[in-house]
Amino acid sequence: MAGLVLAAGLASAVLVRYSPGALVDQRELNQRLGEDSLAAMRAQKARNSNVGANFLAYLRNLVHGDLGYSESNNAPIASLIADRAPATLRELGVGLSGGWLIGLGLAIPVGRFRRAWMYDAASSATAGLLLSLPAALLAYLCLMEGAASGTVLVIVLAPRIFRFARNLLVQAYGAHHVEMARARGVREWRILSAHILPEAAPQLLALFAASASMAIGAAIPVEAICDAPGLGRLAWQAATARDLPLLVNLTMLVTLATIAAVILSESMTRKDAGSPV
Amino acid sequence: MKTARAAAIALLAVIALIALAPEWWATNRYETQFRATPDAPPSARFPLGTDALGRDRLSRLIYGTRVSFLLAPAAALLSCIAAAALGGLAGLAGGFLDRTIVAAADLFLSLPWLFLLLIVRACLPLNVSPAASVTITFLLLGMLGWAAPARVVRAAVRKLKSSDFVFMARARGCRPWRLLWRQLVPNVAPILLAQFWVSIPIYILTETTLGMLGLGVAEPLPSWGGLLRELEGGYFIAQPYLLAPAILLALVVGSFQLVLAREDFSI
Repeated sequence: MAGLVLAAGLASAVLVRYSPGALVDQRELNQRLGEDSLAAMRAQKARNSNVGANFLAYLRNLVHGDLGYSESNNAPIASLIADRAPATLRELGVGLSGGWLIGLGLAIPVGRFRRAWMYDAASSATAGLLLSLPAALLAYLCLMEGAASGTVLVIVLAPRIFRFARNLLVQAYGAHHVEMARARGVREWRILSAHILPEAAPQLLALFAASASMAIGAAIPVEAICDAPGLGRLAWQAATARDLPLLVNLTMLVTLATIAAVILSESMTRKDAGSPV
Repeated sequence: MKTARAAAIALLAVIALIALAPEWWATNRYETQFRATPDAPPSARFPLGTDALGRDRLSRLIYGTRVSFLLAPAAALLSCIAAAALGGLAGLAGGFLDRTIVAAADLFLSLPWLFLLLIVRACLPLNVSPAASVTITFLLLGMLGWAAPARVVRAAVRKLKSSDFVFMARARGCRPWRLLWRQLVPNVAPILLAQFWVSIPIYILTETTLGMLGLGVAEPLPSWGGLLRELEGGYFIAQPYLLAPAILLALVVGSFQLVLAREDFSI
């Protein structure tokens, strides 16, 4: 896991360094800057152009808790991340919990009532429409209604979760033992809690990891458009300002979060598979 | 459902036809400015009005369709070729090569695409030409999208490698290249075709998001993402015709979903 995170950081540093225009600095267009300032700026850029040496220096500092300094924000990166992370975590929390509540909540009746084809068609069509629009466009539309960025994430995630959960639950409700249980008069909530959800749990947990990754990816355009003070907006600002140290740190953080979600889901799946149902 | 699917295929065919030759359908060039009529409302001359620079919105939408609709399949093709090469190699070779390719795929899968695209796209020079920006955007999409299909191809190749018919072919002295072309490739092709179709709407949506963030195709070349930036001001409530690119995008991506829903790509 640590190797993957470091590899992601190094890959992003290499990508940025060798992108065309990586050594271009917009500040050089400022006509008020003198020759000395321009020379100092170019010398600093030249010092920062050695990716390998800079990455090693970064790792040395990282051991001491120093994440480096953001030129574009004129602040230490650790404090920038610490300031912005709570807002993003709150948004992700709202987005994931709301998305799961709505997505799973809408999917259960589709599986339960097989003859409710109109409900199935209407909910699937709505999910299909929302899936056909990019997160940034949904953010624009929601922004006009005064919705918060967390609400936009709910709208982005709910149709994805619904679509996967619907197929899983339709399959689980169609199993023979569920029909047997129903024939024996077992109540619906009992069927759901004892037969359907435990059976679909491994796939639902895998879907949870995927939805966490989707939420992190969607947070960038949503925060950038909704002007939310989170890590997504910070990443967008760092990208447009070509702030390499900040981008490397954010890449590693995003990779860490995504891998952690996958590992958590895999460990829960294994635990679930090992426990008797 | 059959009717809806047929309608979706027909719609995609019509849009592909328009995208192939936009100059046949558009009444003006995408960059032509009518300086006397900026921000004009819809009229017989300009059915979707003109933008702030006096350019015909409908013509720009038609030319933007060419960029978004035709280059997404090109990017999907690129990622499928890379996936076939790397996934096939990992599945066939096994060992160290397999582990290295799987680790690289894991690395790509653990990073949100949009994040990587933001990083690289933002590092382009400020004076990048529109043609270069569109090529780089879609090349990046193609290069970043190989990981998920490569894992699928690798799994399929590993399964096929240990199947009975491959074992029989080997036993009868079939050479490795013949085995690859006559036995493995035809069986992996449907999987790659599925990955290709699935990738197209994803690439269209990703380009749109990049364009809306101002990091997509450079002006004056239009793309759906660039055209949707007009919604930023929130004027679409008073001027609903500004939503035309959004409606077209929803129709195209929705049509892809409908078409893909019934495809049976299993081997």
